[in-house]
Amino acid sequence: MTLDVAPPSQVGSAGGVRPPGGAAMRRPSWLGQHMGTGIVLAVGGYALGHYLGNVIASGYTYVGTAAENDVAIVLALVLAVVGWLLGVGALNYPLAKLAGREPAARPDADHWTKYFRFSVEHKTVGLQYLIAVLVFLFTGGLLAMSIRTELLSPTNHIIGPGTYISIVGEHGTIMMMMASSLVVGPLGNWLVPLMIGARRMAFPRVEAFSFWLFSAGYFVILTALPLGGFPTGWTGYAPLQTQADVGMDSYLVGFSVIGLGMILAGFNLLVTIINYRAPGMTWGRLPVFVWSILATSALLTLATPTLAVACVFGILDRTVGTSFYVAAHGGSSYLWENLFWFFGHPEVYIMALPGFGIVGEMLPVFTRKPLFAYRVAAAGMIGVALLSFFVWQHHLFQSGINPDMRPLFMLTTELISIPTGFIYLVGLGTLYKAKIRFEVPMLFALAMYFNFLIGGVTGVFLSDVPVDVTVHGSFFVLAHFHYTIMGGLVFAFFGGVYYWTPKITGKSLNKTLAKAHFWAMFVFFNLTFFPMFLIGLLGQPRRVFEYAQGLQTLNDFSSVSAFCLGASFIIFVVNFVWSIFIAPQEAPANPWGSLGLEWQTATPVPRHNFDRIPVVMADPYHYSEPDPPPVADLAPTSFAEMAAAGADGGGASRGGDR
Amino acid sequence: MSQVRVPADSGYVATPEELAYEARAAENALFTASRVMIGIFAFAFAALAFAYFYLRSTNSAGLWRPHDVTAPVATGTAIMALVLASTGLLAFGLRQFRRNDTLDWDVAGWTAVASGLLALGLQCWELTDLPFSPSTGGYTSVFIGWAVMDIILLVSGVYWAETLLARHARVRKAATEDSRSAGFASAHFRVNVESCTYFWGFIAFVSVFFWVFFYIAG
Repeated sequence: MTLDVAPPSQVGSAGGVRPPGGAAMRRPSWLGQHMGTGIVLAVGGYALGHYLGNVIASGYTYVGTAAENDVAIVLALVLAVVGWLLGVGALNYPLAKLAGREPAARPDADHWTKYFRFSVEHKTVGLQYLIAVLVFLFTGGLLAMSIRTELLSPTNHIIGPGTYISIVGEHGTIMMMMASSLVVGPLGNWLVPLMIGARRMAFPRVEAFSFWLFSAGYFVILTALPLGGFPTGWTGYAPLQTQADVGMDSYLVGFSVIGLGMILAGFNLLVTIINYRAPGMTWGRLPVFVWSILATSALLTLATPTLAVACVFGILDRTVGTSFYVAAHGGSSYLWENLFWFFGHPEVYIMALPGFGIVGEMLPVFTRKPLFAYRVAAAGMIGVALLSFFVWQHHLFQSGINPDMRPLFMLTTELISIPTGFIYLVGLGTLYKAKIRFEVPMLFALAMYFNFLIGGVTGVFLSDVPVDVTVHGSFFVLAHFHYTIMGGLVFAFFGGVYYWTPKITGKSLNKTLAKAHFWAMFVFFNLTFFPMFLIGLLGQPRRVFEYAQGLQTLNDFSSVSAFCLGASFIIFVVNFVWSIFIAPQEAPANPWGSLGLEWQTATPVPRHNFDRIPVVMADPYHYSEPDPPPVADLAPTSFAEMAAAGADGGGASRGGDR
Repeated sequence: MSQVRVPADSGYVATPEELAYEARAAENALFTASRVMIGIFAFAFAALAFAYFYLRSTNSAGLWRPHDVTAPVATGTAIMALVLASTGLLAFGLRQFRRNDTLDWDVAGWTAVASGLLALGLQCWELTDLPFSPSTGGYTSVFIGWAVMDIILLVSGVYWAETLLARHARVRKAATEDSRSAGFASAHFRVNVESCTYFWGFIAFVSVFFWVFFYIAG
């Protein structure tokens, strides 16, 4: 008997049924909708928007006098994004729905061109994200190299101050956008369904849509440079934001677009984790990486709307003449600061928590010990996520807030170090008396703990008002957040890439090159950023391209180290290209001996992840136990029998009577 | 145990138990998604409310609301009333839908969509015919921010309701022909309709809340 098992949302599909008889004709891969058509329509959209903006705003007084037209630029960027989404096919489904159609989910063709198309397969989207975040990372990295080149000399300049601050702003914004999605995008989308025993994401099209928005945001933010850049740095502070040239429009539209992508990515992961857990995958058995993605997704969905709204206000100020951030007309620049940091501080944890999730997943594997205090780790992540909404004002300690408010936010900021400490102690407890296998992913995990400790402790310094008043806006702050974001998240990300690449690609990365990458990255990261604490304490402000002569030695040391740090990424790229494409070597099915559910399915992972929906029997951290329980039954006879045997729970095991 | 082979291009074999499990997961996902969506919009509108009260309390340059400017109360009230009408109609339709009276739901739903579209049109028209300049003060800025966000919210709500009604019209025949599909689909569809109506409840709450502050309390 054959039944139609199209997902319920596809019942009544008007498409997707292959005509009877005869083989389906295969179209050439360059036909149809893909990134190429996206680029064409994006360029067309940009031109159309620019034209319309000029027509609409040609009578505006300021357009005539200032020779700039924000309306034209904003409309051009928005229509370019719409054109991009139309071109890649991201809007096909939403438009078809208006006519009541539910297009069938056609599986991707097994061809490399699928990575340039709108795919609803979570593993394809994960890899698309992986390449995209690396492009973000290397673009931001190149900009960082130019910053460090300019800072080689305090007085001899390669670029002017305006260009310098534009590059600093572009670097910061691109890196922040990248870091927000660095783990959630590639690893979250690729791994979460596998880790929770699901065959799919809850909303595959939303997942794909979030990726194409993310990639559109990259191009939008890059347009800031040819448009003259923006002078505000990544924080976009008003009133400079309102006064800036049209490059600021790219910042505001770009952050809105990326923000929308972040909201959708978090939304989809949140719903998937809550509802698509396999039978037996109770909250107490959820892998710690999934806990971290859950907490991060909650932050993405709730904090990012504030950023999007703040950006919309900024766009309105610059295009239709509202005065949200213009004090002389009844607005307030502090409004931007509050809205921005209400997003901005949770954003810090959006970047930190997935890193902890990755290393939390790897430590038990490489120590062959159960994860110490698993529940404390989960509670710590949720605690950090909750508290992160109550600390944003510490970014305004030096910005004219009521001084009476400072102690309160100093306290909340210091409080957040408690759940963060929980997560840290879980790691230390797992490492305690362990026989550590120093494989490359483990090296990155240990380096992450080392770096984040420095970033975290200096963060506690900065939460104290007296210290913050002293070093605010200096290189000390810059060093602190590079230690947390790059030292924490980026190290954890690369650890995760080395750890899961054998699963994702079925190929092994070269160990020698991987170790060379690690040591170069670890050593030169610290040599680059540790001197910046000293530079900051000695008084060098951020975002200024001239500095005191006496600080040149430290700056040069930092710059040369930064160049070496940049070069370390070349080792990674060479290794990746060599090991995956040029001289691929098949990886063992489970090279690290992990108990994680994602390692139990076949490699390469089948299209629907699991032949049978697995029934989860235990958490995946029972290493070195004399009689460990099985993690999951991959060929269960029936869910009901398994439930009777103690595997009850899971995403769909409730609410059936609704 | 019996197994069911799914269409060839789906690439996997599923048991009825698995199908039921995934169908239930899809229903639960819709339920959760509607609540999370409300959370997303709630935080967005909380940012707007923060802007309102922040600028009102700081009253920079004494320009929160110079000359007591007010947005057109009649238009604003009409928009709010239309949104309430849409919500009421959808709630009524849902009640009938639960009683398997889908014709009532159809009629109420399409009327709600029309009412929502009218509210949307009025909201857009109001922006083109304001009795003040956007830069007059804090109030006028926040009002324009509200109008833009309300348009986004209404578009979301109307789109959701319209797509449900359009799909219902298209699949009604197919659903009755395949009882099993109809079973899964109707359960899924019912959750979708309930979630959409719930979301409209949120839209109504937002409309009334900001109507009070923009048109009444000022």
